[in-house]
Amino acid sequence: MKQRTILSLLTAAALALSACGGGGDSGGSASGGTGGPVGEPQQGGELTVLEDAAFAGSWPAGLDPATNTTGGSNIAMNQAIFGGLFLLRADDDGSNARVEGHQAESYEMSEDGTSFTIKLRDGIEFSDGTPLDAEAVRANWERALANACTCKPNWPLAENGIQVVDPLTISLTFTRPFPAILASFPTSNVNWIASPTALQQMGEDAFKIKPVGAGPFTVVDNQLSSVLELEKNPNYFKEGLPYLDELTFQSIGGDQPAYQALQAGQAQAYEGLNTTPLLEQAQANGQMQVTIQPATSPYVVQLNTEIAPFNDPRAREAIYRATDFDAINEGIFGGNYEVSQGFTAPGGKFYHAEVEGYPEYDLDRAKELVQELGGLTVNLGTISNYVATQINTALQTQWQEAGIDVTIEDSQLSGVIQKFTGGQWQAMLQTAGAWDPAAGVGVGFRFNSGVPYSGVNDPALDQLLADASSTVDEAQRDDLYQQAAELIAQNFYAPFGLAFAPANLAAAGVHGPGLTTKIPPLLVNTGVIWDEVWREQ
Amino acid sequence: MTATATPRVPVSRDPRVSPLSRLTASPVLRLVVKRLLMAIPIMLGVTVLTFWVLSLIPGNAAQQLLGPEATPEDIALLEQQLGLDKPGVVRYFDWLQGAVTGDLGNSLVSRQPVSEILSARLPVTAELVFLAFVVSLVLAVPVALLAAHKPGGVMDRISMMISTLGLSVANYVLALLLVLVFAVSLGWLPAIGYTPLEDGLWANLRGMILPSAAIGFPLFCYYTRFLRGDLVDQMQQEEYVTTARAKGVGSWAVLIKHAFRNSSFGLITIVGLNLGALIGGTVIIEQIFALPGIGQMLLQAINTRDFVVVQAAVVIFALVAVVANLVVDLLYAVLDPRIRYGSR
Repeated sequence: MKQRTILSLLTAAALALSACGGGGDSGGSASGGTGGPVGEPQQGGELTVLEDAAFAGSWPAGLDPATNTTGGSNIAMNQAIFGGLFLLRADDDGSNARVEGHQAESYEMSEDGTSFTIKLRDGIEFSDGTPLDAEAVRANWERALANACTCKPNWPLAENGIQVVDPLTISLTFTRPFPAILASFPTSNVNWIASPTALQQMGEDAFKIKPVGAGPFTVVDNQLSSVLELEKNPNYFKEGLPYLDELTFQSIGGDQPAYQALQAGQAQAYEGLNTTPLLEQAQANGQMQVTIQPATSPYVVQLNTEIAPFNDPRAREAIYRATDFDAINEGIFGGNYEVSQGFTAPGGKFYHAEVEGYPEYDLDRAKELVQELGGLTVNLGTISNYVATQINTALQTQWQEAGIDVTIEDSQLSGVIQKFTGGQWQAMLQTAGAWDPAAGVGVGFRFNSGVPYSGVNDPALDQLLADASSTVDEAQRDDLYQQAAELIAQNFYAPFGLAFAPANLAAAGVHGPGLTTKIPPLLVNTGVIWDEVWREQ
Repeated sequence: MTATATPRVPVSRDPRVSPLSRLTASPVLRLVVKRLLMAIPIMLGVTVLTFWVLSLIPGNAAQQLLGPEATPEDIALLEQQLGLDKPGVVRYFDWLQGAVTGDLGNSLVSRQPVSEILSARLPVTAELVFLAFVVSLVLAVPVALLAAHKPGGVMDRISMMISTLGLSVANYVLALLLVLVFAVSLGWLPAIGYTPLEDGLWANLRGMILPSAAIGFPLFCYYTRFLRGDLVDQMQQEEYVTTARAKGVGSWAVLIKHAFRNSSFGLITIVGLNLGALIGGTVIIEQIFALPGIGQMLLQAINTRDFVVVQAAVVIFALVAVVANLVVDLLYAVLDPRIRYGSR
């Protein structure tokens, strides 16, 4: 992270010079948006994709879905090797996002939401020839759920809750209604089914280096957290796919080196660009395609209501009134993003642009409250990354205008965890929510009572969130989440802000869903559908 | 009685002394043995210090791997699996016991043997350091000689300007600038990636030119300035230079044969001391150029709190520093007969 900070700082210095850099092999027509008219997909070619070493470019524990503790950030590799039971798809502009069966042919949710049955496609084989059937899925799920992984789903599974119904059908039974089950698949390791035969033959240690799946590509070489070389799987179940012959994931030390490597033509895609000045530069110079993904998780200033000063609602209101995220969006991020008033964002489910009763920016009111409190001193923390630290600096300036005495600090992930678990933090800039607020790192993670990463202790809010996650009817869920957002606003629990999502960069002539079209991000990055990515030859 | 004065013959040249005795009496060998014995507490100190510093960093491998959403139960389970629930002292001695028998253990994260990881990554870093060393030193000597030959002349001014510039720029800034010019704008060299030597010498070298230049150039500037300054001092202030000139020896010959020989002591010392900076530079440079070396591995291991891998990397780096200093001492002996024959 330290190194990442250095590189982030460097970005600013190198930017002016980068603007002078041209050339590369961008060739052909390039667009700064999501591309113009695209022709018919073409077969063949190879693609090198860069991944940030601090996130998706780090797979130190290997790529066995059950034991890959960083699996949540390695979705790209997982999709390429294992394919996935389900995939999140969307229209090219990111709208109409939905989870669709991929290796799963169909699914069925019981009316009460307590069981979920999956029918697999017939005839799918892993690249070693083992059939991908219900027994293989069961073996994978049991293994995945038994291991510790950030991408393990939080299923409320009943005892013996995984049952093989027939060779192509498997069912899950829950202790309570769990309608978010479908949305939880694309973000979790249970989506990636590995060959049980290969695992048994190779042993865990070898398997995690060269895992065997039924995805569009097979592993040629894997140097952990460095380079992953893949080649086309000739046994892939989708005829004519994948388009590419070879796909390489290359880890790289941050946005700036990645951007320059793309300019030099050494790679053709980069996932997860966060550095806003580079994003603007990429959009301006027209050498590559820039796809800003629809955001699903807005930034939120969590306030610790358990301790002073934010155990006083007036102090919390002062923060709301002193915070102007619209100005931050315009001033620092070129107005590229939406500003949320709740824990949902335009790319996610149940999004509403406005939350009734949301306390808007009002500097005079903020000053009045600070005066009433006899002054307000706040320590505002966040994780060390470019966007978060930029926002915190801006917040510090805004809050100081209201007479609030603010210190800011950023820490590595482990430092942030320690602060949360220590319970003595005051304010923390984080992101909240997910594509489905009940799936993945859901909204409860930031707002439920008793969760160490929440600053709120409110049984009424707990109940609303629990009801929303266990309600089958989507309209009712929407209403419950809206009520939860209103409750948060009324109690001044946490002002929401910029709905940020990283961008993908691609060289001209590269096309593919999630790479050059929009799909809402799953956890941080979008789940690119690699079998449909192609290059103009 | 008259005593016959026997000329004093160094033990190492006395034919009456057996080769073994000669060897054991050799000042150079004594120096080597002394340095190697000193290396033991140094290496132990380095490993203890590293272990202690790592224990001060918040979090451990289990917490880092499982992320913020992990439950305390998950973390405790993984800590137990990784042996992180044992007291720090026990873990250190477990590691040390293995290390002294050549077993550096398994990575806490990937479970791969550390020796296997090192053998894959060491050649990349070794090549990078070697090339940077060559770039810095091989260029610095002739440039400094040219500059010192005519202080205040055109070459001197140019070299001082370049070296001042080089010393003002951090290697990672230089790396990005080099990529911008030679990879992005000119397209002559690759911006990222490593090609193994077995895939072709030129392909391998092409990929290493920019990274080694990024590390080597600031050192080249430093060595050039240092050597040039020392040479000028020697040429202007030392009596042996005046004597040589009075004998009619040409200025280039005085500079190269006499002044340079004396100045090289200082240069060797500086090179030895700077080896740490040279190796340290690989950590960020390998990230920028996506080189799968020890530096990249070290950074990843620190981020995941994989102390077994960090320890191994630090031991390697410390070992290189110790050996480098030993080589420096030996080079003194080569250059100075007083050290070689033990009269000093």
